[in-house]
Amino acid sequence: MSLLQIRDIEARFGGVVALAGVSLDVPEGMIFGLIGPNGAGKTTLINMVSGLIAPSAGHIVFNGAKGPWPIAKTVRRGIVRTFQQTRAFLGLTVRENLRIASVHSPDPACVEELIDACNLGDVLDRTARDLPYATLRHLGIALALALRPRLLLLDEPAVGLTTAEVERLGALVRRWNATGITVLLVEHNVRFLMEVSQRVAVLDRGRLLFEGTPEECQAEQKVIDVYLGRRAADAED
Amino acid sequence: MASMPLSRSAFIAIFVFALAGGLTLTLNDYFVYVVTIGAIFATLAVAFDVLLGFTGYLSLAHGALYGLGAYACALLTARYGLSFWAALPLCGALTGAAGALIALLAFRTRGLYFAVLTLGIGLIGHQLFLVLPGLTGGVGGYVGIPGPEQPAWLPLRSTTYYALLALGLLFITLMAALVFVRSRLGAECLAVREDLTLAQALGIRVASARLAAFTFSAVFAGMAGALFAAISSFIAPESFTVLGTGFQLVALVVVGGMGTLWGPILGAALLTALPEGLRVAATLSLLAYGVLLLVFIIFAPQGIASLISRAARRLGGRERAP
Repeated sequence: MSLLQIRDIEARFGGVVALAGVSLDVPEGMIFGLIGPNGAGKTTLINMVSGLIAPSAGHIVFNGAKGPWPIAKTVRRGIVRTFQQTRAFLGLTVRENLRIASVHSPDPACVEELIDACNLGDVLDRTARDLPYATLRHLGIALALALRPRLLLLDEPAVGLTTAEVERLGALVRRWNATGITVLLVEHNVRFLMEVSQRVAVLDRGRLLFEGTPEECQAEQKVIDVYLGRRAADAED
Repeated sequence: MASMPLSRSAFIAIFVFALAGGLTLTLNDYFVYVVTIGAIFATLAVAFDVLLGFTGYLSLAHGALYGLGAYACALLTARYGLSFWAALPLCGALTGAAGALIALLAFRTRGLYFAVLTLGIGLIGHQLFLVLPGLTGGVGGYVGIPGPEQPAWLPLRSTTYYALLALGLLFITLMAALVFVRSRLGAECLAVREDLTLAQALGIRVASARLAAFTFSAVFAGMAGALFAAISSFIAPESFTVLGTGFQLVALVVVGGMGTLWGPILGAALLTALPEGLRVAATLSLLAYGVLLLVFIIFAPQGIASLISRAARRLGGRERAP
């Protein structure tokens, strides 16, 4: 059974339609990738699933309960997100950041494990503002993981990371997925997304263009036409 | 101090307050009065720091809450015959409830609008003290407020006794604030101060955290006002203006060091002692506050607390160096 069902979700901002009746199923225990060109509606979809903005129409079903809910209730139900622009409590130390995140954690002891998994042990007393970019990215994910979510929404976690850092991030995502956390991953780094995801959906101009395995996705002509081919051409330029 | 273990903070606070109390016994009445007023303002400043320094909200209604505590104490003791000790917690509860109501209204706004809305409440509060002479004595003020009852077995001058009470209330406020900022609610307040959206995304109950911080600071502001009324025996609306007490509070916390709890105590000590030491007229004390505020904002925006911490770290580093 799917942990998350997105049903006919629409997002309208004035005259702009960001999502036009998108339906998706994210099975429990899976890393589910979501790609698409800029403006396809990926982050809008994450914002709606996480309760940050309300859909204009449609609904979600999470763990059998019909939503969406406001963000605080969404978190309590087990859906936690990270942000495209890394967010952490920049004026506080890493230790203080993790303490805050563990306030509502069902398992506050997991913070110790996270410190180790996210390589934060050496920077616990440093202010988040002073951290290297990749470490700050890891802190952002650690804050979300501290809540022991059932569904983790990762919004472009690999942006700005080096190849080695992206590999480390991939290992981290797989490790936490192996503990039972379902992941919905939005990412522009197609290689990274295809490597870690078990299933992929493609959005284009607010509509679902394709859904299948990473292999099927990379072979699908319409995906190549609107996204993968364009990215390859951009890379060659 | 806010980042130390609670037991260590409590130990240091007990030592410092015992020292201050002991020193008070040796001072003449004038200096004892300065200590008393300084301790009352420090109590207000510590309570205010929980809201401004730890939660990130600038309230300009606290002068009125301080005044509400003072007038409530005056009415309960002088008109209804309650003892000061019975009136004190009632004043705290009353201002706490008023603070909660203000918070429910004010937190519908954000940033600058929050400050402006509380400014309006501060102005309304001050005007109410003026236009309700039946309750407050109006422009002429409230006269004949009984002082806190002194136990017969305590052979102290009343001024010294009041100073010890003021130090005692400051100690209790500081301990309560230390417990609050270390609690789950305190962590939530810090999250709200730092990044509201991230706080929400981490499931922080933003509304209850802000409400708790405002109510906490209102309770202790009210108790400080009650003690001020009882030991002054006379209160008037000009003690509770936005530009007077409201602005003074901001100055105490900013000059002392926001979000440190002990910094505002130093700010209160400095800004109470300075006008007295310089013997400037009351009208000039606001000028002194303004100048100090400018100097600190430009040269040491994190206040006296950060200057002391930096100096201590430098000294510590020098001692450790071979």
